[in-house]
Amino acid sequence: MRPALLGILVLLAAVAVESFAQLFLKIGASGGPEILLLRYRRLIGRFSISSAAANWVVLGVIAYGFEILLYTFSLHLLDVSVAFPMGSLCFVGVAMLSKMLLGETVGRTRWLGVGCIVVGAVFVAL
Amino acid sequence: MERGDTKLPREVFAGLVIAIVLDTIIQIAWKLAVSGIPAKASIGGTAHAALANPFFYAAMLAFVAQLFNWVRVLSRSDLSFVQPFTALSYLSVLAISAHSLHENISASKMLGVALILLGVFFISRTPFRTTDAHNAVLKHPESLRS
Repeated sequence: MRPALLGILVLLAAVAVESFAQLFLKIGASGGPEILLLRYRRLIGRFSISSAAANWVVLGVIAYGFEILLYTFSLHLLDVSVAFPMGSLCFVGVAMLSKMLLGETVGRTRWLGVGCIVVGAVFVAL
Repeated sequence: MERGDTKLPREVFAGLVIAIVLDTIIQIAWKLAVSGIPAKASIGGTAHAALANPFFYAAMLAFVAQLFNWVRVLSRSDLSFVQPFTALSYLSVLAISAHSLHENISASKMLGVALILLGVFFISRTPFRTTDAHNAVLKHPESLRS
């Protein structure tokens, strides 16, 4: 595999892990999986994953540590001017997870804001 | 405009300001901690060099403080509302590194800065929370300590 392609794949994995890290912290901060939409709460219940809020915060921190490793590795393979704006895709990931799993209202204005930030990150990295 | 609470409480605003300041400290301290390490250093060598650098501990301390602050912020507001505000630390880090390296900021960077500010402005116009779950937690704060 070409280093650039591998770098992009690792970076996308880092973005996904970071988005989930934020979701886990949010679940922990909100008192546990009760904040999830019902069908995902049921899914969590089926796997008998802990409902203690503190455990979700710990899970978020572990995910963050993993994300730092992935991002650092991707920086070995990619130019910062590529890695930095792609890293800002986690704003998109967080908006999607917040909408789909937590039922937050992510309307046109919020998406517009996320879009501006991602495009802005591209220009900052140029 | 989305429905929900629009007036940002003071503690959420303060938490966001603290988050951006700590994020800036983490990134600058992290950069200073690893900047002296050769790119070709082994993982063990990199870890050893980082552990010997006081900036590494400054970054870790700020990271722990950030965790406590961020959990507090998240307990009071939408994740999709507060998380985009952290993009402001891109700008503070850019400003600090441009200042300390005496670099000029290019026109494209200025455009990027303007777009990020515009994006954060759009987000700030949306309600800070749109779900009922927060109200449940705030009514039963003991659930946070379980």
